[in-house]
This record gives sequence, structure tokens and C-alpha cells, in this order.
Amino acid sequence: MKDNNPLSPHIQIYNWHISSLVSICHRITGIVNITIITLICFWVALLLLGNSNYELIQNFFGTFFGKFIIIGTVWSFSFQILSEIRHLFWDLGLGFELKTSNITGLLVIFGSFILTILIFILGRSLVL
Amino acid sequence: MINATKKWIFLKISSFVLVPLMLWFLLNLVLFYDKSYDEVVLFFISQPTKFLFSLFIIFAYFYSSLSISEVFEDYIESEKLKNVANRLLYSFAIIIPFLTIIVIFNLNI
Repeated sequence: MKDNNPLSPHIQIYNWHISSLVSICHRITGIVNITIITLICFWVALLLLGNSNYELIQNFFGTFFGKFIIIGTVWSFSFQILSEIRHLFWDLGLGFELKTSNITGLLVIFGSFILTILIFILGRSLVL
Repeated sequence: MINATKKWIFLKISSFVLVPLMLWFLLNLVLFYDKSYDEVVLFFISQPTKFLFSLFIIFAYFYSSLSISEVFEDYIESEKLKNVANRLLYSFAIIIPFLTIIVIFNLNI
């Protein structure tokens, strides 16, 4: 039997809006985040091999590229957190109006950068 | 209740649980990413880290596998290919957290 399930049309036929940008970024950051979590699982597994192997990772995170990866990771998760909260409000039936949706979309985009900075300030100074 | 509704409910519950877990993880990640071997191991073997990190990866893989299967649903036309992709996805979502939790519970200084 032929499957009549409709597929999503190609994204290039739409005009760009804040909502579409946030939606696409939500999917991309979701895939990036699970890739990062997988790498962190490998990182944890490497701990079993002992101190000498770990020094390679420690040195990598000391480089400019290593720090960039960490900042990118925090931003990607921050974006996902805020976008997920936006989705949870939608599930409660809130925030569907066009104006509200645009404002919350902007809040997710700009808020993700602010949250990244806040996490670095709090994480480096207060937690554990 | 149809499967799509069940999937949606599981997706929402897992995303609700994941938000505070992601915040907890990020705050700790920025703290320990450049720490020494002993400090990182100590972090992973202490409580509540052991429990929270295990919970975090279980929910993260659960949520991601449900979300990515939705992406497959949207963009893969072939049923056969979609089934293979979903099976691979669900296998990874079980194996990787399971192995990582075993590693965490076997870590020691």
C-alpha cells in the first residue's frame, strides 16, 4: 500500500520569519546537543583509561578552539532550554498570537546569548 | 490513546524534566571542563552528580530519539529507510546511556 503521509515541503519556498528561524535552530541545536552529549559520554568513558590519556582532553580544552567548543555548547543548550520553554507554553495554549510569537522568538534568540553569559558567570564562581 | 498522542505526551514530560537538568549540567560543565583528572573523576563519582548525570543522559537520549524520529517522519519518504533509521536511533538511545552509567558507577580515583 502506498504511504500517503505528507512530507514537509522544502524550506526555501517560505519567506523567512522569526518563528521559522527559531524552529529550524531548535531542530539543529537538538541534533548538535545530542551529538555533544554523545561526545561527553565518550569523554566520561575515557576517564576509565586514566590520567595520562585525560591530559590530551585537558590540553584541548585549554586551546582557543577548545574554549570555543565549550562556549558553543553552552549557547546551543541555552537556545534549546529557552525554545523548549516556549514550546511548553504553546502546549498550554499560550503565546500563539503573531505578535507574542514574534516577541518570544526574539526572546529565545537574544535570551540564549544572555543565558550563556549568565551560566558562565554563575558556573565559574558559585556552583559546587 | 493513539501512538502519536503517547509519543507527544512522553516528549513533553521528558522536555519538562530536561530543562532543569540541562541547566544543572551546563553550570557544572563550565566549572569542570578544564579541571584536572582527579577533580573531574571526583565530580562524577560524588552524589548527587552520579544520580543527576545518569538521569540527564537517560532523559536526553529519550527526548532526542523521539524528536529525531519526528524529523525522520517529516523528511524520509521510504518506509524501509525510516524503519532502519528509527531502529538505529532507538538502539543508540539505549546503548550509549546504559554503557555510560556503567562507566560512572565503575569510576574511582
